[in-house]
Amino acid sequence: MKLIDCDVHNVPVSMDEISERMPAYFRQRGVHLPGSFGIKNPMGVLRVDAQGPNGEPAGSVPSVMKEQLLDAYEMDYAVLIGAKFLGVGVHPEVDYALAIMRAYNDWQSEIWLADDKRFLGSIVVSQMDPIASAAEIRRVGSQSQIVQVVMTSATRIPLGDRYYWPIYEAAQEMGLAVALHPGCECTGVSESFSSGYPASYLEWHTNLSQNFMSQLTSIVCRGVLNEFKELKFVFVEGGFGWVPSLLWRLDKNWKALRSTVPWLKRLPSEYVFERCRFTTQPVEEPLERGELEQVMRMMQGEKTLMFSSDYPHWDNDSPVRAFPRIDEEMKQAILWKNAAELYGLTS
Amino acid sequence: MKEKQGHEICKVAELPVGERVIVEINGRSIGVFNVEGEFYALRNLCPHEGAELCKGTVTGMNLPSEVGEYNWVREGEILRCPWHAWEFDIKTGKSIFNPHKVRVACYDVEVEGAEEKAVESFKVGVNDDEMVVVYV
Repeated sequence: MKLIDCDVHNVPVSMDEISERMPAYFRQRGVHLPGSFGIKNPMGVLRVDAQGPNGEPAGSVPSVMKEQLLDAYEMDYAVLIGAKFLGVGVHPEVDYALAIMRAYNDWQSEIWLADDKRFLGSIVVSQMDPIASAAEIRRVGSQSQIVQVVMTSATRIPLGDRYYWPIYEAAQEMGLAVALHPGCECTGVSESFSSGYPASYLEWHTNLSQNFMSQLTSIVCRGVLNEFKELKFVFVEGGFGWVPSLLWRLDKNWKALRSTVPWLKRLPSEYVFERCRFTTQPVEEPLERGELEQVMRMMQGEKTLMFSSDYPHWDNDSPVRAFPRIDEEMKQAILWKNAAELYGLTS
Repeated sequence: MKEKQGHEICKVAELPVGERVIVEINGRSIGVFNVEGEFYALRNLCPHEGAELCKGTVTGMNLPSEVGEYNWVREGEILRCPWHAWEFDIKTGKSIFNPHKVRVACYDVEVEGAEEKAVESFKVGVNDDEMVVVYV
């Protein structure tokens, strides 16, 4: 079975590994990113069975990750996403956050990408400074194992806005996709969900999809996909069950309101099917399991869905257990074909 | 049906309260738990996505309650899967959220050796030879 995992989380054993790669002034301050707004997962977000042999944090020891994930499932590739560092995108002290951003990207290359060709990298950028982020994309984006840019889905301004376009211009120029990943919602300078603050981790985690919905709407309606004709977006860990109904609604509204967004020359859904990809974890689990495949078909999952495990987080999915009884062609597209085409990979 | 065989796991003294040991019996991975001095064994395989359930956290649970009430009970009797955090009753293998349909296999566990070693040795605390035995 050919297999690509599109969301794997690597962390340093100690934050010293990051701070020692920062310039002198910032190095002495260590790494401090916006934390929670008072509500954390009471069980912790890391799998308790994924620690290193000496109690190292889950996801910090490449050999453990390979044993538990890449070797265990005979994966061809695993796309690393430094989710712990996406807080640079909501950090108010921009220069400090950019120093962390650059140090992370160097650390990812030196510790992980150099360790194994199966690891693919994502350049962490900060929406707090799109110009500096564009420069960072051009600085490290030509490394052969780098496949995309990643940024937090938590923002002050929706991601379709022209404010962000330098990031998209640089990503397209370097031939990289742009991925969004949740986790910073309600922290740092980001806004809460549109109705206000959640009151439990359960509410927060469930509402992450809501934020993804508004980011997708913004990216499509403000013309990002028209302006950057080669650029592709990856919506990581935001769920996908909502995609069909959002696209139906977008398409219906477009028929009447097309003149407000005249750059959208076709149904909005057509742009999404061509240029946006969605990762599967945490896979939705309808009571009637057959309904999962129906949802997949409604969103052209044979083109748009890509498998992700989210290893080593608490809600990670297994590639052999997450999709019971779905069509074999659909499964192969999700496990391999769609990500291989997006990232230009061969087995 | 084939009669279940007893398998000696370890000495009682080697499995203190709150601890667990994971063993392989007939090719099956099984977790043996000491809950307040009683021993229980569960299959080390979560029925959800196949994680090694018995490597999860031993904890308690909140009972269903009225709004604003939190009744934390059964500390030490609940096993939380290391993936997805589903809760299971260590004593029965049944999940908390759907005990009738979602459950993990559990096995009989006995402590053997005390009766042969005579009650006296137990009384004086010489119980080194007591063995935890799982029936599979």
